[in-house]
Amino acid sequence: MNSIVVLILGALAVAVGYGLYARYINRNIVQPDPTKATPAKMYMDGVDFSPASRNVLFGYQFKSIAALGPITGPIIAVQWGWLPALAWVILGTFFIGWVQDYGAMIMGVRREGDTMGALSYKLISPRARNILMIFLYFYLLLIMGAFGNAVGKVLMTNPKVPFGMIAVVLMGVLAGQMTYKWKADIILTTIVTVVLTFGGIWLGTQDFVSDIFSALLGGPDSPTLWGDITQAHVVGTLLVIAFCYLGSVLPIWSFAQPVNYVSFWIVSLGVLGGIVGLLIWRPGMGDFPPFTQFTTASGPLWPMLFITIACGAVSGWHSLVSSSGTARQLEKETDALPVGGGAMFMEMAFAVIAFLTATVAFGGLQGYQDAGGAGAALGVFSKGLANFLSYIGIPTDFGVAYGSVFLTIMALTIMQLVVRFMRVASAELVGNAVPVMKNVHVGTIVALALTLVFVWIIPWLTIWSAFGAANQLMAGLALLLISLWLKEEGKKNSWALIPAAFMIVTTLAALIYLAYTNFAKLATPDITTQATIASILVGVIAVVLILAAALLIFDGIKALLKPGKEPAPEAA
Amino acid sequence: MASTRERVLGKLRCTAHAASEFLYGMTTYDWVRDMRRERGEVEKLFILVTFGGIVGLPILPPYYTLRLLPYVVPVVNRWKRSLLRERDLTDLVGMIEGVT
Repeated sequence: MNSIVVLILGALAVAVGYGLYARYINRNIVQPDPTKATPAKMYMDGVDFSPASRNVLFGYQFKSIAALGPITGPIIAVQWGWLPALAWVILGTFFIGWVQDYGAMIMGVRREGDTMGALSYKLISPRARNILMIFLYFYLLLIMGAFGNAVGKVLMTNPKVPFGMIAVVLMGVLAGQMTYKWKADIILTTIVTVVLTFGGIWLGTQDFVSDIFSALLGGPDSPTLWGDITQAHVVGTLLVIAFCYLGSVLPIWSFAQPVNYVSFWIVSLGVLGGIVGLLIWRPGMGDFPPFTQFTTASGPLWPMLFITIACGAVSGWHSLVSSSGTARQLEKETDALPVGGGAMFMEMAFAVIAFLTATVAFGGLQGYQDAGGAGAALGVFSKGLANFLSYIGIPTDFGVAYGSVFLTIMALTIMQLVVRFMRVASAELVGNAVPVMKNVHVGTIVALALTLVFVWIIPWLTIWSAFGAANQLMAGLALLLISLWLKEEGKKNSWALIPAAFMIVTTLAALIYLAYTNFAKLATPDITTQATIASILVGVIAVVLILAAALLIFDGIKALLKPGKEPAPEAA
Repeated sequence: MASTRERVLGKLRCTAHAASEFLYGMTTYDWVRDMRRERGEVEKLFILVTFGGIVGLPILPPYYTLRLLPYVVPVVNRWKRSLLRERDLTDLVGMIEGVT
């Protein structure tokens, strides 16, 4: 199948999904009122509640939800064949993804800007909020493990990448200085820092620079220090840790924020260049099969495909962003669909582009596997992107380094903010019992130490599956909440309830599979210490999430069975 | 003809405006939000110090409170709601962007 056909299919899905299905639900069931005051206007405090135009919020929402998830998931998922991966990206968004994002947003608006935590408490049960906090904490820990693994053990171990990363960091710091201290014009700041960053990435590919990092990483055959951890892994991970430490402890304006800003331009120019290259090249999938086998390295197609691709189809995290962030900034209720639903469909398009880097950039299945396959998804993306960029004149060598820096930045900018969050969250949760946790440095070090355990011990595909399961369980919870809210409002809720049931059942099955396979590994003869610890860790996390989900289902069913308002007739 | 041309130009101007707002939302809107949030936190603290008596925390003597009263009355309800609103970890989600 040609890549243009895939793009057309994606465009059709957006046109039908947003233009017909989403608009039908919005107009006839939810019935937003453009004249009603939103929480942003009623409670405008300049802190959390502040109205913004829908175009601004659309950009903000898209940037908040689109990251490594829509890239990594589809690239891993094509190990089952291109058809299941593409079908889940398109149909998942069509029936579930936009429903969750839009539903969480409009629910937040109609419930006076309540967060998912408060809504869980009020609509399901008091312990549902605690369960959500457990999901959130494990979810963030697993993100740190997954991204730390991908960056520290794969991307940063390419000697052409670290210098480019350092360039991004330095230029980010410069951007902060120029904007806040020197009051420089933002356009001048952008041009100077982005151009210098590209220069730094190019310099990093030159032999006299990459040889220095090659020596630091232990050369092409990096010595093994213990288990399967090499010197390159240790150095790469420590660079990641150093970056996250700085991002967590320094004032946000001086490091995290401006580095994020410079990173945005590096990433978006890369995506644009890749899309132009793809449209010029228009490659086909070669011999990439629509279906390979039911069970692969990640497990059986059902349920594992549905947690492998999260954000490109549906992601629980989006409900938190929609309710706690965007819902408190909407000017009008009618903006919820273009902002929430529209951003999700746009993310689907992003996932389709990532899907194409795996399926069309290498001439077929063998090329995909030679580029690294599911076990090195980010490496596949950077090489695929380099192949697309070569059609607009970018040399492949530079393209691969650029793609790797691009992905490294995306992962690190998320990781530093997650560490910041974990530091603040630990101070809030345990700071009174353990006062030292209120210290900025101690909180950060504890979060990073936990991250290191996950990065060095748990294999990439396992941790990605565990992360996907936690994420999708949150999606199931969010959809359940939306269903309960609709029932309370006396509106039809099957369009949210059926997806909720699907997500909860599928994710539970995935967690049971993860728990079973990891505990079963403990019975393997000659199992290494590293593998034992990894299996116990993942198995225990899976069991905790299963128990939490079971409680949630029990409370959710009780709440659903309570009598509510009779559903109102649909609008004519 | 002129009206068609004007309509097309008008649509192009609207599209350009929407695109620039979209780009603003993706780039510097976060900075503005963060700065606004910091200013809001400082204002909240100032009002707490000067008008803490409203929420049971009399800090400053009433003389200063009365001097500042005319300036604070329009925002006092909003401030009380913001200060006393129940929060949990999901309120911190805004710290993290672009997770998945």
